[in-house]
Amino acid sequence: MISIDRVSKQFETSRARRHLALSDISLSVARGEFVSILGPSGCGKSTLLYIVGGFVEQSSGAVIVDDNPVTGPGPDRGPVFQEFALFPWKTVLGNVMYGLDQRGMPKDEALARSRELLTMVKLSGYENFYPKELSGGMKQRVAIARTLAYRPNILLMDEPFGALDAHTRTKLQNDLLGIWEKDRKTVLFVTHSVEEAVFLSDRVVMMTSSPGRIKDIIKINLPRPRERAALLLNRRYQDYVVEIEKMMDEQPETRVS
Amino acid sequence: MMADIVSVERAEAPWWSSAGTIPGLPPIMACIGLLALWEVVARWYGLNGLPPASAALPQIPEILTDKESLIDIADSLRRMVTGFALALIFAVPAGLAMGRSKHVAAFFNPLLMVIYPVPKAALMPIIMLWLGVGDASKTLVIFLGVTLPLIYHSYQGSRAVEEKLLWSAAAMGLSAPARLIRIVLPAALPEILVGCRTGLVLALITMVTSEMIARQTGIGNIIFVSLDLGVYDRVYAMIVIIGALGFILDVIFESMRGRLVAWAEPSQAIVVGTT
Ligand SMILES: Nc1ncnc2c1ncn2[C@@H]1O[C@H](COP(=O)(O)OP(=O)(O)OP(=O)(O)O)[C@@H](O)[C@H]1O
Ligand SMILES: [Mg+2]
Repeated sequence: MISIDRVSKQFETSRARRHLALSDISLSVARGEFVSILGPSGCGKSTLLYIVGGFVEQSSGAVIVDDNPVTGPGPDRGPVFQEFALFPWKTVLGNVMYGLDQRGMPKDEALARSRELLTMVKLSGYENFYPKELSGGMKQRVAIARTLAYRPNILLMDEPFGALDAHTRTKLQNDLLGIWEKDRKTVLFVTHSVEEAVFLSDRVVMMTSSPGRIKDIIKINLPRPRERAALLLNRRYQDYVVEIEKMMDEQPETRVS
Repeated sequence: MMADIVSVERAEAPWWSSAGTIPGLPPIMACIGLLALWEVVARWYGLNGLPPASAALPQIPEILTDKESLIDIADSLRRMVTGFALALIFAVPAGLAMGRSKHVAAFFNPLLMVIYPVPKAALMPIIMLWLGVGDASKTLVIFLGVTLPLIYHSYQGSRAVEEKLLWSAAAMGLSAPARLIRIVLPAALPEILVGCRTGLVLALITMVTSEMIARQTGIGNIIFVSLDLGVYDRVYAMIVIIGALGFILDVIFESMRGRLVAWAEPSQAIVVGTT
């Protein structure tokens, strides 16, 4: 369970200038809940995720994860960064196994689990490639496998499917949903795609920018397990998408304060 | 300010190692051209103390088979390796720590600024007062010469490490010291090796100059004793040997570097190649 309590973040951009990236954000995410964050570019989605991950410190407010205030990163919260952040000196396999080695998992077990994840993200055969030899979408899939490998309770995913083609994207959305329905991890998921947010989430958080605030939270009442093909014809799904897209259009353009 | 330092040092890197040339042929042609020019100049102008290449080069096998001079060369190389290794042990951790901590950087930066413009070999007479004319002072001078480029490049490499790599590692449970060794060090390795390459050339230079000032043994000693005796053939043969030594060391180092950081993005490799 994640409880974000009146969190604000102010960046000192230069000597005298300050930028209020997040203002007074309060949000509770139940254990096993899938919550997406939608909002215009620069509204502070990544920053919010970093604060929950313990990578960036909030200016005020608190984040509580399972009754403990967040003071730094931990293996209970697994990030997938917008920039992939693969270790360039490690092969694909080495990257996926890194967290498992760190946790002290026996080598053969770590190897088996890593191969299984690489198969899931359709990268078997690429075990010995270095990140520089992969396309953007492939890097992103390695990054997802690397984080899933060490089984964090909470996934913090920052546009994890942003660099993928439509086909792989759909495929991985289904896979993620499959994994999630099996072990019900808590997921905080940043995306630009309304369809993706509605398809995956229990709730969609909409943000406005300058400063980043929560504009609205929409509960998605669609039955699970969800099936993409069936959903596309589902009237309620279509209504959600249209409604949220309308609300996004109402947003003023990002302005520099 | 530090940026100027590096451009100066990069300019000192050997010109023959620039990337993109067909390996083997151009350097050989350049060598032949240089030797021909040397021969012609020495014969036509008959400068006093400049023997023609045809007189100096036959001295090379003689020097390389003479036990005394081999001992001298081995002495020099031993000091060079020691000085280089000590610099590596000190400068890489210091540079990496500087890149990750503002406090460490604030401590070392002024120190480096003061040491930088001082020609290291010029410190030789002073250091000799402390440590004598033996190995210790020469090794220290080599150490000082190598430390600066190495610390600077380690610092730059460490500073440029992508924050999210460290975050990913932190989320996996790596502590701060573990991140320094297991994330910052490998991520900065391409840049560290650029520093090592510059350091290798500087080690050779400071090695010879230190022996110029404190003559006792070594390659520099052979040159200056021969110079005093007026055996110019030998002086020039020795200069050719030093040049060849630098070239061979660089070739060996580059092939090792290529293998160590084959994983690096090409952009980093180009930075290295265009010294
Ligand atoms: N380290 C920083 N220093 C100063 N300002 C920052 C820093 N990081 C982010 N910001 C500012 O905070 C705001 C939010 O940035 P953030 O990266 O969280 O946006 P985002 O919603 O993730 O955008 P996108 O969808 O484009 O990824 C931006 O206006 C950005 O300029
Ligand atoms: Mg972002």
